Amino acid sequence: MTAIDARGKLCPMPIVLLAKAAKETAPGATITIQADDRAFPEDVKAWCNKTKNELLSLAEQSGYFEAKIRRA
Amino acid sequence: MNSPITAADRFAELQEQLAALEARVDQSKQLDRLSLIVFSGSLDRLIAAFVLATGAASSGMEVNLFFTFWGTSALRRENVSAKKGFIEKMFGWMLPQGSKKLPLSQMNFGGGGPLMMRHLMKKKGVASLEEMMQLAGELGVNVYVCTMSMDLLGIKENEICDYPELKYCGVAKFLEAASPGKITMFL
Repeated sequence: MTAIDARGKLCPMPIVLLAKAAKETAPGATITIQADDRAFPEDVKAWCNKTKNELLSLAEQSGYFEAKIRRA
Repeated sequence: MNSPITAADRFAELQEQLAALEARVDQSKQLDRLSLIVFSGSLDRLIAAFVLATGAASSGMEVNLFFTFWGTSALRRENVSAKKGFIEKMFGWMLPQGSKKLPLSQMNFGGGGPLMMRHLMKKKGVASLEEMMQLAGELGVNVYVCTMSMDLLGIKENEICDYPELKYCGVAKFLEAASPGKITMFL
């Protein structure tokens, strides 16, 4: 499982870091990403749609968002 | 008397029509490609260009950036000497030497604006233009530079920064690349 901490980074960095991690992750594996960019919830949904990766969960923690993604 | 149309004849005819339609669909298929004309040489517009470029490349799109006119300044190196005529030299002095010297399109305040903007970006967690340019290279964003602009402004190839597989081109190359793409923008 890969974990990314993109907190404190604004657009487009959370998505860029996610894409970079996805490249190095095997299909079926899970990636967890934390981000506090306000655009992140919509962006991560859009990114998953566009790249055909599966968004397993998206939750708001205290002060940041956490998304789990399964690599397609 | 005409011979009756058999099912086999009709089938062959339909197959032919289908093949012709498939060919047309292939031709008009839009590629998941973003093409940007980077005309402006101001910091704010360059930031927008590279946010779009790195975001699109991260989403699996093919990205082509075409640098033309003032945009070429953003790719210049600092303090490179090149053989130039008088007017070219003047241009060389007046045009920004690279991404770190770009003005803002608004609120430039004689160069104070960009410093303030860069300070704010750092404070708020926005990647710097130079970081995004580096990332673009890693993500496979293609950079093309308009040779006409370079010749006009007197910018030589040895003044252009290192970027992976940077290419020099003209308008036809841009049109060929942009035509089948889904998104094309002028910045």
